[in-house]
Amino acid sequence: MRDDRRSLLRWYPPAWRARYGEELLALLEDELGERRPPAPMAVSLRWAGLRERLHASGLTGDHRPAADRMRAASLLVLCAWAACMVAGASFSKASEHFAGALPTGSQALPQDAFDAVVALGVLGGCLVLLGAALALPAFRRLVSGYEGRRFVRRHVVRAGALTALTAVALVPLSLWAHHLDGSQRNGANGVNVGALVVWSFMAVASLALWTGAAVAVVRRLDLSGRVLRAEALLAVALQVAMVGLATAVGSGGRPWPRTHPGSWPPAPLSARTPPRSTPSSWWRWGS
Amino acid sequence: MSKPRTTGLRRPNDPPVLILTSLAEGPKHGHALLKDIEGFSGVRLGPGALYGAIARLEARGLIEPLGPEDRRRPYRITAEGSDALAAAVAEMRRVADTGAMRLGLTLGVTR
Repeated sequence: MRDDRRSLLRWYPPAWRARYGEELLALLEDELGERRPPAPMAVSLRWAGLRERLHASGLTGDHRPAADRMRAASLLVLCAWAACMVAGASFSKASEHFAGALPTGSQALPQDAFDAVVALGVLGGCLVLLGAALALPAFRRLVSGYEGRRFVRRHVVRAGALTALTAVALVPLSLWAHHLDGSQRNGANGVNVGALVVWSFMAVASLALWTGAAVAVVRRLDLSGRVLRAEALLAVALQVAMVGLATAVGSGGRPWPRTHPGSWPPAPLSARTPPRSTPSSWWRWGS
Repeated sequence: MSKPRTTGLRRPNDPPVLILTSLAEGPKHGHALLKDIEGFSGVRLGPGALYGAIARLEARGLIEPLGPEDRRRPYRITAEGSDALAAAVAEMRRVADTGAMRLGLTLGVTR
């Protein structure tokens, strides 16, 4: 069988491949003979595979019981929150020198927007923790059994290992950064930039693994209708917080001062300049 | 007026409706389904869309697989699938009849 067709099948979840994979390959053989799948068909198959993966993960599916859909929707919001955390970290990194970069009298709105982002970020984190706390009794029931414990361990070990590796990798990076001058830390040293990019990918991958672990575990939890409804309400609140976050970032304008690019490690929040009196938008700065 | 019963099958060119309509004639495997559907509706389903819909229909018990023929597996419509298709056709017919009546058209079965 041709490898290009087999590689398309890899976009589908393993269980789906086991059930329908050979039939789909036979269909492609009937349709195409020896030809390669044309680009639109290949894209369509990949898209269909991703949809099946979403469906298999419980994140989509409109023919499931209401409880399943509620659980899937809450998990989808959790995934969106994880993506929002990545965006928030990028925003935090990009905005760390606003105080020094903005002209006097132009800092009120950016500072308010930044404060709103921080406040909403904390609120969102609290909502996620509250959701986790609500699921704790069901989680304890899951890990009280051997199978459940093994399932959880498999996911946690993978995510934990990458997180530990990421944390360990931060130590030499920080030590290295302290031996570099300001311009080297801010892009002049290509090796340093490359190392930071790799480390950032590791951090994002760690977050993705933890999120995946949370999704996989929550799908197995035996949650009561009351807990599911509470989780759904928390998910709605989290969505509102994310909309607020996006609005705050948008109302602040372009978060990338050109004369003071970010450095590593980020400055603590307390070191930021307090807001000035005259409101203005930071998108005007630099124009 | 009571709300018409919904079947979860929506537009006439939805892949599930097309697949059930094709299987109402008799069991078919993937390639035969694609050819038949293209023949009666002019819709060219992609392999991904076809098998996505087949998986959903099978999960809902509206179609069922028969024994494999080589690597190809034919499917047939179930009694539940026939009921769902009948309800969907009735829904579509209500809309078609209303449209035809308001346009002053006469609808007939064409083969």
